Amino acid sequence: MDEFLQQLINALVLGGIYALIAVGYTMVYGIIQLINFAHGEVFMLGAYFAFTLVTTFHFPFWLAVPISMLLCAGFGLLMDYVAYRPIRDAPRLSALITAIGVSIALQNIARIIWGAKPRPFPSESLPSLLRQPAPNETPEIVFSFLSIDFTQANIAFTENVSLAYLDFFIIILAIILMVALNRLVSLTKIGKAMRACAQNRIAANLMGINTNRVIAVTFAIGSSLGAIAGVMVGIREYIEPTMGYYKGVAAFAAAVLGGIGNITGAMLGGLLIGFAEVFGAGYIPYGYGSGYRIAIAYIVMIIVIIIRPTGLFGKSTGHRA
Amino acid sequence: MVQNSLSFFNTKVLKKSSLSKYVILCLFVLFFPGLMYYGLDSISLFLSKFNIYPPIPSGDYIVYITVQVCVYILLAIGLNIVCGYTGLLDLGYVGFYLIGGYTVGLLMVRQGFSYWLALPIAIIHGAGWGLLRGAPTLRLTGDYFAIVTFGFAEFLRIAVKNEIWLIGDINGFVKEIPSVTIPFTGIELKENWHHYYHILILIAVVIFVSYRLQHSRVGRAWIAIREDEQAAASMGINISRYKSLAFAISAALGAIGGGFLAQFWGDLSAKTFEFWESILILCMVILGGKGSIKGSIIGAIFIGFLGEILRFIPDQFDLPELAGARYLVYGIILVLLMRFRPDGLIFKKSA
Repeated sequence: MDEFLQQLINALVLGGIYALIAVGYTMVYGIIQLINFAHGEVFMLGAYFAFTLVTTFHFPFWLAVPISMLLCAGFGLLMDYVAYRPIRDAPRLSALITAIGVSIALQNIARIIWGAKPRPFPSESLPSLLRQPAPNETPEIVFSFLSIDFTQANIAFTENVSLAYLDFFIIILAIILMVALNRLVSLTKIGKAMRACAQNRIAANLMGINTNRVIAVTFAIGSSLGAIAGVMVGIREYIEPTMGYYKGVAAFAAAVLGGIGNITGAMLGGLLIGFAEVFGAGYIPYGYGSGYRIAIAYIVMIIVIIIRPTGLFGKSTGHRA
Repeated sequence: MVQNSLSFFNTKVLKKSSLSKYVILCLFVLFFPGLMYYGLDSISLFLSKFNIYPPIPSGDYIVYITVQVCVYILLAIGLNIVCGYTGLLDLGYVGFYLIGGYTVGLLMVRQGFSYWLALPIAIIHGAGWGLLRGAPTLRLTGDYFAIVTFGFAEFLRIAVKNEIWLIGDINGFVKEIPSVTIPFTGIELKENWHHYYHILILIAVVIFVSYRLQHSRVGRAWIAIREDEQAAASMGINISRYKSLAFAISAALGAIGGGFLAQFWGDLSAKTFEFWESILILCMVILGGKGSIKGSIIGAIFIGFLGEILRFIPDQFDLPELAGARYLVYGIILVLLMRFRPDGLIFKKSA
């Protein structure tokens, strides 16, 4: 039971991160039907930007994260402007190939600049509450909220179940960002424009919506959410040039599972993929679970595409698949 | 039909000037290793008399690289069948290459099979997986098909890494694959120029198969599917059958490349079969122009040698941080091609 609860916490955190990345895929796909393969790379760059700001330029952490988000948003805009806008009316496969080209180029630029070696996010630059607890760190068990000790890195509920403040913070932040995004899309003017573009881009253009601007905003929002997820993964695990690829594919699987183009679906899909990955790795016996950990997302993705291409929550779009 | 099948050899269609060009090209290809061994090495030897040591690689190294590039040519022609003729984007071609390589490698190392028996088995095995992957994806088009192929290849790579009972080692290592002996003669194929002629024969077979298919009813059906699937179906083309056929043949050709590679390298590792390898081959096909055999060959030669040069420079000048530059260049090439010449740099689609 203890193990199950601990896995549940891990799954929630991972799911929150996947949801943040998946939103970026699904928003772009919803509007221009492009699988933005390079979104995973933006996520990786987000982690590296924050890392460089903190280590080389000695920015405080709380300032480095928003700056990294802004940089990534700018990067998303640039990517759209340079690579995707010129081929917007070309066949969809050309756009996909372009996205793969951008992805492979960015990944190797990161490899040239920062090196291929995985690096941990420097823990001394983090606020002490947000550091990753050491593996042998055993906090005292908490019986009531009054007894929470903020000098430690995690809260323990029982002997074997503990929640790092970092993880708690990630879950809360993911929820806040998701709700904010949901409100943005459903209530604001730009959100309305986005939904209009997703329904029919040409008609939206005829109605006087500047579709290029809407697409640019979509890229910027998706990229900045990806950047924050990148920083989270960087703190929990480590930063490396291929992280965007693996996490990106899992997040893409989440977007497909939730019905690509559907923002709420992507959030739920992210959670489901997080659960599938953590529980699969934890409970599939004979070492298969851990060995095939990264394959779980691929398998889910393939099965969903073959059996139900519109995903769990997507509506049929007719012209696809 | 007889006349049709002879037209591949019909040299009358070639103009006289282009005929001589072909003869020169063929001679160059045939005597390439000798040219490198005697030509390049004697230049180096000559210059060393004057104490000049330019960074000219040895002839043997050039032949070695050429064999690698030849494998890419073979793979590009194979991928061209799915990507070029039927117009579906296959991002998982490396999967078949992996299957061919591991089939030959494991049969030779663990079962003691002869290469000449293992290679046909690998081809059939590859085709089988092509059909297996093709069956559920027949309905899919466009990016969904691409994503499934991608997931399939990645899954195979992870499986090879994990199935230790099958592979016999961690991380998909198969070591000490024996070199091939020509039956009845006892000649062991272990020099680089042996490999060169070996792959040359395989390429010739693959080009022949691919060319004959392209100009047959099957090839025309594929192109009809590429141009408009619904129209093709209404013309009486059995879409699933022809698509399956394309998947199987393309996969079989990939398996030939993998099988050759297994004995050429002598060992295999799951790391060789990463996703980027598929993109590399895709890049070759697109550069040359989808649907053209000539284009695939030239694309493979260009990208293959470019890659080797970009690999050679960091090694030679001790710049290990530039090792990623190779893939960076491929990425930029893909983006630029899609932007300016989506039909390929060299040839337009040959319908």
